[in-house]
Amino acid sequence: MYVLEGIWIALQQVWAHKLKSAFTLIGVIIGITFLIAVITVVEGMNRYVQEDFAGSLFGINTFTVVRRSQISTGSETEERRRRQARNPNLTLHDVDVISAAVPEAWRLAYNSDRGFDEVSYKERRRRNVRLIGGSDGYEALQGWDVEIGRGLTPLDQRRGLKVVVIGSEIADRLFPDVDPVGKQIRIGAHRFNVVGVWESQGGMFGVIRDASILMPFSVYRQTFARNPSEVDEISVKMRSMEEMEAAQIAVEGAMRTDRELRPGQENDFWLQTSSELLDTWDKIVKILFAAIPGLVSISLVVGGIVIMNIMLLSVAGRIQEIGIRKAVGARRRDILIQFLSESATLSVVGAGIGIVFGIGIGKGVEAFTPMPASVPVWGIAVALTLGILVGVGSGLYPAYRAAKQDPIVALRSE
Amino acid sequence: MNGEQGMQTNGNEVIIETHNLKKLYQMGSETIHALAGVDMQIRRNEYIAIMGPSGSGKSTLMNLIGCLDTPTEGEYVLNGTPVQGLDDDELARIRNREIGFVFQTFNLLPRASALHNVELPLIYAGVSSKVRQEKAKNALARVDLADRTHHKPNELSGGQRQRVAIARALVNDPSIVLADEPTGNLDSKTSEEIMSVFDELHSEGQTIIMVTHEHDIVGHAERVVTLRDGLIESHDARADGLL
Repeated sequence: MYVLEGIWIALQQVWAHKLKSAFTLIGVIIGITFLIAVITVVEGMNRYVQEDFAGSLFGINTFTVVRRSQISTGSETEERRRRQARNPNLTLHDVDVISAAVPEAWRLAYNSDRGFDEVSYKERRRRNVRLIGGSDGYEALQGWDVEIGRGLTPLDQRRGLKVVVIGSEIADRLFPDVDPVGKQIRIGAHRFNVVGVWESQGGMFGVIRDASILMPFSVYRQTFARNPSEVDEISVKMRSMEEMEAAQIAVEGAMRTDRELRPGQENDFWLQTSSELLDTWDKIVKILFAAIPGLVSISLVVGGIVIMNIMLLSVAGRIQEIGIRKAVGARRRDILIQFLSESATLSVVGAGIGIVFGIGIGKGVEAFTPMPASVPVWGIAVALTLGILVGVGSGLYPAYRAAKQDPIVALRSE
Repeated sequence: MNGEQGMQTNGNEVIIETHNLKKLYQMGSETIHALAGVDMQIRRNEYIAIMGPSGSGKSTLMNLIGCLDTPTEGEYVLNGTPVQGLDDDELARIRNREIGFVFQTFNLLPRASALHNVELPLIYAGVSSKVRQEKAKNALARVDLADRTHHKPNELSGGQRQRVAIARALVNDPSIVLADEPTGNLDSKTSEEIMSVFDELHSEGQTIIMVTHEHDIVGHAERVVTLRDGLIESHDARADGLL
């Protein structure tokens, strides 16, 4: 009953002194806001990476052969990085080796790509795009669909036509109010006919498709490749996970044989899969979640000290009340519980405000950046539990001071 | 109102009994005998005034009788329970069940309504909310404040506040009502009003112990105990001459 009373008194105080309460609770509010904002954004990214990103970037049951690992996990040694830097380039010969190794591949495609400064249509420009030279079937392997016009055809590939399919961001920029299909854009010194526009991918990693320009591999090789014999990525898509694992082994073996690597010698190429990326992401998430407690606990400790101070003031100002309560029969623990409930309530109010702010920040991030947000129930539970713990922890000493008041002295105080 | 209980005044059981009650304080090297050995008996339904100049020990006696403090020496039996040597929580329990305090400065919770103030002892007695409200309303009705249940102390007059305090003292059906200068902060007309409330309670069978130095007030009591230098100077029987 005095628990309810403590809660009620705390809520009345918060309501009656809104500004003072805001200052009192600022530490807890900041701590919990930060906690919830980070959890919200990381969870959102997590979900996104697992559900959309891995699939859309690498495709399901797909693996890619590259010259060297593109994902830095931080765990590899400098020496290994240097050794990988000496790996030979992939070439069209490697494409032949791989396609011979997995004749049962559902799709097999290769590509090279590079960043490019600027593309333009008449007076309109778009900076920082990615040029991709893709072999026949590249879009199908990637699972990219066109929204307007058409994709590249085997004929475009064979004849080496200067045609491109552009990403939605580029289309929006260069062709705000005309149909891009059939128009000619300039990429450096070259002119290309736009035959289609990719469906917008959106999301944080959507830039990869939405700011890309795809052209036939042979055209890319002649016009933009820094090294014409080079192929950046060779991708193989299988029908199932098991098939993919078998195919990876077959490809690895064929490549080693072709490059005459001795047993025990390390691969001088790299196999990349979406699971490798997911592992890396998991590591990042673990590091983030390991860092949160430290940062959050600093502000919660500060918040707890402020609450303790306020509670000490509150006790000092209510000595007579404590005397009255004791005179009519309150035991020590009754007083203790009342003040603990009061400080716990204060702190939980702070945590509640922090949760609302944190979700607000998460949603703000989602609205104004490509990063997604997702609020897990466990995050809110953790925040509320922390709120109660901070409240009880910081209320202990003041409540103890209140509980041990001598009723005679307390009654006499004004 | 002067019903069956009033008829039984004579020969009523002893409700308070002290024997050689002492309270000593150490002030530096000096020992102060706030109470130097008090023997007294109070029977159920007695109306007693405790008098004495300041420093006579009447506040100390009041605190001991009210179980707010424990004696340094001696015995105190309240309603059959030896009180000396009880710990804080046991004392709190006795205060809750056996004693109703009325203070000079009313001592109401300023932010709480009259009803909530009266409910307070019942909260600590663990009475359910429904019964609590009913009992508290009845107690307020006994002091003619049935229409002021939701007023805060600052919305009530001094006399009304003291009546809320009396209702709070009565709500747990205590063995004794212990009033410490209950009219000290009231004008004479309101004082009369409050004293008549006590008279009425007494006539209904309530045991009342009142600490005061006002002679008008003393006139309401049946018996006056005068303290001086920590000792009882006189038992002055009034009314029906119990001593």
